[in-house]
Formats: sequence, structure tokens, C-alpha cells
Amino acid sequence: MKKIFNLALGIVTSIGGFVEVGSISTSVQAGAEFGFSLLWAVAAATLFLAALAEMAGRVAAVSKRSMAAAVRERFGFHFQIVPLGAEFIIDTLLLTAELGGAAIAIKMLTGVGFQWWVLPAGFMAWLLLWFGNFSVIEDGVGLLGIVTLSFVLAAWRLHPDAGDIARGFLPSLPHHDITRYAFLAVSIVGATVSPYLLNFYASGAIEEKWTEQDLWINRVTAFLGMGFGSTVAMGCLITAAMVFGPQHLKVDTYEQAAQMFVPVYGRWAVTLFALSLGVGCFGAAVEIALNAGYVLGQALGWTWGIDRKRRDVSRFVAAFSFMLLDGIVIATMGFDPLRVTLISVALTVVIMPLVVLPFLVLMNEEQYVGRHTSGVFGNGLLATLTVLGALMAIVVIPLEIWGS
Amino acid sequence: MMDIVRDVLDTSVVDRNGREMGRVDGIVIEQDDGPPRITTLLIGPAALGSRLHPALGRFVTRVEKLLGIDRDRPSRISVRDVEEVDRKIRVRLTVGETTVGAWEQLLRRWIAKLPGSQ
Amino acid sequence: MTASFRLDSIVGREVYAANSRRIGRLHEVRAERRGSTWVITEYVIGAAGLMERLGLGVRLVLGFERPTGYVAHWDQLDISNPRRLILTCAVADLRRE
Repeated sequence: MKKIFNLALGIVTSIGGFVEVGSISTSVQAGAEFGFSLLWAVAAATLFLAALAEMAGRVAAVSKRSMAAAVRERFGFHFQIVPLGAEFIIDTLLLTAELGGAAIAIKMLTGVGFQWWVLPAGFMAWLLLWFGNFSVIEDGVGLLGIVTLSFVLAAWRLHPDAGDIARGFLPSLPHHDITRYAFLAVSIVGATVSPYLLNFYASGAIEEKWTEQDLWINRVTAFLGMGFGSTVAMGCLITAAMVFGPQHLKVDTYEQAAQMFVPVYGRWAVTLFALSLGVGCFGAAVEIALNAGYVLGQALGWTWGIDRKRRDVSRFVAAFSFMLLDGIVIATMGFDPLRVTLISVALTVVIMPLVVLPFLVLMNEEQYVGRHTSGVFGNGLLATLTVLGALMAIVVIPLEIWGS
Repeated sequence: MMDIVRDVLDTSVVDRNGREMGRVDGIVIEQDDGPPRITTLLIGPAALGSRLHPALGRFVTRVEKLLGIDRDRPSRISVRDVEEVDRKIRVRLTVGETTVGAWEQLLRRWIAKLPGSQ
Repeated sequence: MTASFRLDSIVGREVYAANSRRIGRLHEVRAERRGSTWVITEYVIGAAGLMERLGLGVRLVLGFERPTGYVAHWDQLDISNPRRLILTCAVADLRRE
């Protein structure tokens, strides 16, 4: 019974934690410029993420190793340093964007300039990591994130045509600006399948002490959790499509984006949008910083764990603290979070093949997944994803130059 | 028969009480006449750094020297003290008998001062 | 005189035959516990080691069925100069794996 409760909680908190600056930015722009026609990209990206997360969770439950630990052991440090270094650069950029997004949200609520809010937001994130434990952080962030359901509610209240929405789930070519369309499709994938999410999910599985008995919980949490979470991103896209679509508006700022709530929420529009953006970004910032600690601790063999006494995991604490400090310093310089987001999303796509490839190996080794190896279907899926990832990696930079 | 690169290098090391000591970051080979022998496992960022480039390893050593934690580093574990090589490597020693926790102890001095470190 | 060096200074290096022909990279070192020391018994060179490292999944997908590599007995490879690993025997004398 307790497991069912925890499972339900896990799914609910996944909804809350799904959208952050990357998914909001890409969903708003996709909806504003192409209506419903990129819904398939959100769905496909979510399935991609859920499949990889389930695999990472499987390795963690069976072998008690996170992705960072498994890659170090199976491939060695020489191989790992490349994706590890790349992930750190991307995560730092993403953290900067999240802190920036949270700061902009507070600015929208208070009217005071956004650079002033980066430090308080970052410091609050640090306090949560310093004093909290895994349940408080995961469940707290996730429950607060329920406010992001305002996207789903707004989409529903605008009464979009069901047929039009269904058509949006079928991949199709647009009538205009194919480069921009392709760029947004690829960006949606990059915003959804963040590498930090996979190691974070696996680390969570280890913090919650999942075993082989919990593999069904892993599957349900990964697919249902991410699935429900993606409805928020879809809600955001649909709302943007209905409010901005008719005018083919290009949304360049978050203040502009907030206007999409006006038809449904009237004078609460900016408040609700700001809360959704702020909570989503704050939660993601906490997770990215925490994951920096996880990755370094696991790859380098330190003692780690957010449930442990902080003095016993000093290197781990130093790692997430410096990561946050880094993000705070760069974000305070005032870079446009929207632009930083698009860069980190593009870079995510570039290293995607390097992220997927280890899964192809680990999923077939008894040492890591026991007898729960990937069958023909699983390997076929991974091989396809690796190839797709490589294709996207090749086109994303040209698309970024010509499509943005 | 052990596959050293696959099963020893980069594997977690635990002490006699099951406490984590780190990962095998380097391995020392010795040879006079006769077959070469693996004699020592190395744990520590200096050993890890020198795998990427010897200059990096030397840099880490210099930093450790500046911080006063460079004595007997990188930590050396004689293979004589290795009891078992399996999913993890178990050694006969305890963490306290080695220099593995130098950075952890150094940082703990600061972190323990903050309220809530318990 | 006892030569002492790091394992990673030889792993990944090219292995040459006596006539300077490159035969592959050193991917794995096998050792046996003898008393209080671990004695190196074999070296795995070339494709065999690499395929092993990449694992079954990739092999299935890429269709490699027969990795061609070599296994050298410890006295068939001179590792005294880590920068240049040279066979002390003929290539034909190596075991294929």
C-alpha cells in the first residue's frame, strides 16, 4: 500500500517537475509560430526521455549504480571525460538559464529588475539543498510545481478543436519556414531529453533504495510520470497556439509569453505565468545543482547522498555549492535566459549520441541489468535513437544559425 | 585470472568494514627480470589527473601541496592488501589506515562549521 | 633494476611487430594472483580487446561476429619502453582471439 502511495506521489511530482525554462520557451514558440503542428515533437521527445530514464532506473535498481558510476566502471575515465565535460558545460548553461528564468518570474511579480533576484533565488536553492533531504526536495518541488497545471487548464478552457489537436500529433511538414520548424522540433527534443535528468533519475532510484523488485515502479514512474508531465508542455504549446497563433506572433520575451494567459485568467495572467515559470525554473535549478554533486561523487568515488549528514559528504556538498555559485555568478551578468536556453538545448542535441551510446552497451550486460537485458525491440529502439541522435546532432548547428 | 582494465581500473574500493574508499584511479606495474607484476593500486585525483596528462597530475599534486594534504598521495594500496576483486574491490585495511579521505577531511573542516551540518 | 610505471602508460598504445608493422592497440592486461603479488600473464591486443570493451550490444547492432585480435603471452611483448610496445616474437606466434 505504501508503495502505491509513493508511486502516485512520484507521478504527481513528475508533473510538477517537468516544465522548466527549456520546455516553456520551446513550447511557447512552437505554438505561436506553428499552431498545433509540433505536438508530435513534444510527444516523441517525451517518449525518448521516458525510455532512457526507465533504462537508467533499471541499471540503478539492479546494479545500484547510477549512469555516471556505470559509465566510469564500464568504459573507463578516458572515455567518460568527454561526455562528462560536455555535460558540465551544458548543465552550467542550463542552470544559468533556469536561475535567470526564476529571476525573471520574480521580476514579473514585483517589478524589480531581474538581475537582483538571481542571488536570492540561487541562495534559496542552496538552502533547500543544504537543509533538505531527498523526499523534501523531490516532493516539495514537485508539489509546488502543480501550479504549472495552469497551462493545462488554460488549454482546456480555450476549447481547442479536438480534431486539430489530433492532427498535431501526426508529423507533417509546415507550409512556411521549414528551417524554423525543423529547428524548433529539434530544440523541443533537446529541451526535453536533458542529460542531467537521466543521471538524476538514476540517483533518485538509488536514494530511494530501489531493488529488482521495484522495476515495475520504475517503468510506471518513468512513462506515466513523464507522460503526465508532458501534458503541461503540451498545454503550454496549445495555449500559445490558440492565443498567438492567429496573428503568427513571434514571442521573444517571457513578458510577451505571459500574455497567453489573459483570455483565460484575465488579471491573474501575469501572476500565474510568473508562478509557473518561477517554480518550474527553481525546481530545475535545484535538480541541476544536486546532479552536479551526484555525477562528480559517483564518477570520482566520493561519499555522496542528500540524505546523509552534510559533514560526511563534504566533497559532494562542495560540488553542488560551487555549481550553484557558478550559475549565480554567470546569471547575474544578465544574459538573456531565452538565448542561453536555446544554446544549451542545441548543445544537448549535439552530444546526444554520446549519451545514448552507453545505454546500448549497458542494457545488454548482466552485470548492470541482471537478466532484464534489452530484447531485440529494446536494442532496435536504442540503435534507432542513436542514429536519430546523430542525425539531429549534425543538423542542429546549421539549423540554429539559419532557423533562429 | 583478472582482466585488469575491465575489472580493476576505475572500480570502487571498499575497506574491511565496507566503507567507500574511492575508485582505482591508477595502477603501478613493476618489472625486473621475469614477468611484470602489478604491485600497487592508486587512489586520488593526482593519479586520475595524470591519466589524462602527466602535467595535470603534477598540477593536482602541487595544489595538494599548497593545501598541506600532499603527504603519501596519491594513496597507495598494495595488492597484497586486496582481499577480493568482484563488483567492488575489498581491501584488508581501514579507511583510517590510508590517506584516501584527505580532500574530504579538508573540506569537512569548513562544512562542519555551518549550522545544520549534522 | 626494477622498472616502475603506470598501467595507463601502456594501455591504449599501439603495439608493433619486430618489423615495425602496427598490429593493433593494447586494450587489456590479464594477471594472476601469486602469493602477495599479481603477475601479468597476458596482453590483449587489437580488435578483440576493443570489441570486448564496446560490448555485446554494439556488436549485435554493427554485426561484428568474429573480432580479430591477438593475445600475447607476457614474454611475447616488450613493455620496457611504454612509448613503443614491440613484440618479441613473430605475429604468427600470437594466439588469435
